[in-house]
Amino acid sequence: MGKPNDLVQGTLDLLILKTLSLESKHGWAIAKRIQQISGEVLQVQQGSLYPALHRLEQKAWIKAKWKETETGRQAKFYSLTGAGRAQLEKEAQNWSRLSAAINLVVETT
Amino acid sequence: MVSARRFWLRLQTLFRRERAAERLDDEVQFHLEQQIAENIAAGMTREEACHAAMRAFGNSSLLKEETRDAWGWTWLEQFASDLRYGLRTLRKSPGFTTIVVLTLAFGIGTNTAIFSMVNALLLHPYRFHNLDSLVLLFENRGIDEGPDARRISPGDLSDLRASSRLFEDIATYQYRDFNFSSEGRVDVAQGCRVSANFFSVLGAAPAQGHLFSANEEQPGSDQSVIVSNRFWQSRLASDPQFLGKSIRLNGRNYTVAGIMPPDFNYPVSMELWVPLALTPAEKSDRARLSLFALGRLKPSLSIAQTNAALNNLSRRLSELYPKTNAGRALHLLQLRKELYIYSLPLFLLLQAAALFVLLLACANLANLLFARMIARQRELAVRSALGANRTRLARLLVSEMSLLAILGGAVAIAASYSSVSILRNSISPAWTKWVPGWDGIRVDSTVLFSTILLSLLLGLVFGLAAALHLRHINLNTVLKETGRGSAGPARGRLRNGLVSAQVALALVLLVCAGLTTQGFNRLAQAYQGFQPDQVLKFEVSLPENAYPDDAKRNNFFQTALRGVSSLPGVSGAALTSNLPASNVDNEKTLFTIQDRPALQASEAPAADFQTISGDYFSVLKIPLIAGRFFTESDNATAARGAIISRTMANRFWPGSDPLGQRFKLGAADSAEPWMTVVGVVGDARQNWWNPATFPVIYQPYLQSSRSWFRFVLRAASNPTGYASAAHAAISQVDPEIPITELNTLETEVQDSIAIVHIMGVLMAIFGSVALLLSSIGVYGILSENVAQRTHEFGIRFALGANPRDVLRLVFRHAVTVSGVGLAIGLPISFAVSRAMAAFVFGIVSVSLPTLGVVPTENSIALKNRDQHAIGEKFLDLAKALAAVPRVVREMPHRLLEAEDHQACRVYVERMPDCSRRSSFVAVVQPTDLRQHHNWSHFQRLNWSWLGRILPQREMRSRSVIVGKIVAQ
Repeated sequence: MGKPNDLVQGTLDLLILKTLSLESKHGWAIAKRIQQISGEVLQVQQGSLYPALHRLEQKAWIKAKWKETETGRQAKFYSLTGAGRAQLEKEAQNWSRLSAAINLVVETT
Repeated sequence: MVSARRFWLRLQTLFRRERAAERLDDEVQFHLEQQIAENIAAGMTREEACHAAMRAFGNSSLLKEETRDAWGWTWLEQFASDLRYGLRTLRKSPGFTTIVVLTLAFGIGTNTAIFSMVNALLLHPYRFHNLDSLVLLFENRGIDEGPDARRISPGDLSDLRASSRLFEDIATYQYRDFNFSSEGRVDVAQGCRVSANFFSVLGAAPAQGHLFSANEEQPGSDQSVIVSNRFWQSRLASDPQFLGKSIRLNGRNYTVAGIMPPDFNYPVSMELWVPLALTPAEKSDRARLSLFALGRLKPSLSIAQTNAALNNLSRRLSELYPKTNAGRALHLLQLRKELYIYSLPLFLLLQAAALFVLLLACANLANLLFARMIARQRELAVRSALGANRTRLARLLVSEMSLLAILGGAVAIAASYSSVSILRNSISPAWTKWVPGWDGIRVDSTVLFSTILLSLLLGLVFGLAAALHLRHINLNTVLKETGRGSAGPARGRLRNGLVSAQVALALVLLVCAGLTTQGFNRLAQAYQGFQPDQVLKFEVSLPENAYPDDAKRNNFFQTALRGVSSLPGVSGAALTSNLPASNVDNEKTLFTIQDRPALQASEAPAADFQTISGDYFSVLKIPLIAGRFFTESDNATAARGAIISRTMANRFWPGSDPLGQRFKLGAADSAEPWMTVVGVVGDARQNWWNPATFPVIYQPYLQSSRSWFRFVLRAASNPTGYASAAHAAISQVDPEIPITELNTLETEVQDSIAIVHIMGVLMAIFGSVALLLSSIGVYGILSENVAQRTHEFGIRFALGANPRDVLRLVFRHAVTVSGVGLAIGLPISFAVSRAMAAFVFGIVSVSLPTLGVVPTENSIALKNRDQHAIGEKFLDLAKALAAVPRVVREMPHRLLEAEDHQACRVYVERMPDCSRRSSFVAVVQPTDLRQHHNWSHFQRLNWSWLGRILPQREMRSRSVIVGKIVAQ
């Protein structure tokens, strides 16, 4: 849609963790996937993925490995760790609680 | 688990940062290429694809920085880059770096050296367990008569041990000299008889062997001896099988039971310890204070509580035994404090001087750094424009200064290894063995640690000061201006103030140094009352078994004395029990004067007691005031006679003639025979730290027999040449008797005040360093000032000033700065000299008026100070002179090179004191006169025309207005 909003940036961690929960991907693939699945609604500024990815890596929720892609290039693939899965659960619960609360407020006025 | 992994990741980002940065670049590159490929596949051209990809990605350098922030450790990265930059800049300006590092090194180094002494002598004089709980126990009647008189009587001690459980344990000891005979040679060794618990009370144990057992305190069972490390090395030749061997001391056989470790040194310089075996009669004696006692305080009791309990006990004892204990009080003195009484003031003085030097160095540094900050304004402004905030700049400055400070500290530590060992070896071991802890003066871990701490602190302080100075820089203006920056009037005042402070400090230090050196010299001469030059001295001690009775001893000494005095070239020889200026206290004795009200033992007066032969006073040239000297006829059969000192005569027979008066040793009921006063002689001081003179009683040696004496002989020429002759003379009488402690009296006297000389030398060094540092400081600020005012001087020359006028200006500045410094420094140095007189012995207290005006002997002090002050001023003016030729060389045309259209503005802003009444020059274009936007500024100031407008032809197309602002 338009510019990425703060809400998206705040939940970037959640989006990344969820994207990686299925299979390991490199940074560009993660960006494309988020765009794809959200039906082009979430236009995350691509570059802002990388600080988030490295932050999550420092927190040991995802781990990284340099592998060859199908085209033969070297790329850094990220995958979820066990602690990451737990964190994903937690954040998903938080998100649904938050969104449910906001829904309540919006719909009952 | 997770935290361990996190920790590991953080470590990785710390150590593989470069690699990680490269990898990040690869990652981003990959991403962009994928996006570009996608875009091209969607139909864009290559160029459009690139642009679209970059746009979609965002600001890559910003994002890379954010990612790097996510790695953490940015502060360390910045710190490392700051350090590297600091090193580079320091390398680029080697002159500045060298001066700063050297100044720092000097300031820190002096403090390191002095602190190593303080650390060894005051903080850790003895390496005992828990030094602070060890106390000396003694009793006296109110007057503390010095270290040798701090004794307790055995009867009182056993009461102390039994009745009140005040101490964990109490040990006792007595000094004893031992004649140590082995393989035909006889030597004298100093030792102690100690109680069995002596070593355990101190918390020390032999390095080899075992301690005494309690039953060795019975008379007859005291057969073992513990030796010191030094004794084992020098006299037992480091024999590894010495344990259990038998050595012969004072005619008895002792078995060597143990050897103490090398650093055990209590009491100072003792070599042998044997068990103290007292007979039951001696143990219950209350009259004679014959024992030294050392106690370990109970941890549950404070000193005040113990003191109070001791007072109670003293009171009880004086009621129970009024004859001996009336008026006697028990005291305790912490072992550490016993040393402090003499050494603390001296070391405080040294430490204060070292701190002064540090302050001076810091003042110099501050000026240097100011100048450098001004030169760096541009660079800092650029950094700030690029995005560094104040904190970041402050961090940069602090890390640079810390680097300099660490460098300075390193140089200081390197230099202090050699300087400290020079200090330690500067006094001969014959004297330092009496100073506990002297051998421990070295740069050990405590000293190193404190030096590093000091360097870091200095770096931090200077860095923060520089960072604070940042606040005052208007970075905008700095960036806009071309050429050099100016510090502004406020900063100039601060710098002038710093230099004045330096001058004041240097003056105070110089005065202290001068007074100290002078005072110490006077101390050396203070052994008035005798003349030690050309006198040889040695000691002879007779063993008990060969000379068991008085007659044999007297015979030996009489013959020996006759032999020594008949040596060719010897003008006189004598015997004495103690020499003046030997730092050894005399024996003390009570005495009772005939026909005076009888006093009990507790109230009888006390005097020093010496045994001498007839020629003693003439050999040492102590003046005879009344009566006569002893002769050979004052022997065992003659009437008992005594010579007294002048102090004793004045104190006990004031106004009347003491000759012919009678007194006896001991209390009123003692069995000693009455003695008649036959002579009065002058006083001679006994030790340098006790300025009081005690009354002295001299007895002839034939009437008061001893087993050892000191011989003194006055030689016609160099006394050392008589050593072998003296040996021969004694061996002629008895070849088994050795001579010990052979030395010239002058050397002994000099050595005894060696520490005082060292202090004088150190203070003199500090004083000259202070002068050097402050001269450098004054020179620095003067040349800086001259450099800043070059422009102004140029104009003055252009207007026709001759060099002398300009010189006068610079001189005025120099004189003002140093004058203010002197004005502040003089009253402070008065105050300090009075405080010092109270501290340091021997500096006779000088009163203010005599210091200032009256030309008494104290005018020497004033002259010294004057000389120093005048010398200082000359130096300052010399520095000013050196700075000025640079000005004279500057051609006036420098002015004309300046941007002319700005000349007017330049002058109003640059003149350092244009807000005050002073003359200044403005050069303006005649055509621009009214249109110049600063003309209104000129008009606002009150002008009064001084005069000359130079003719047109001289100034080409300019007109010159020379005016003087009278008011603002």
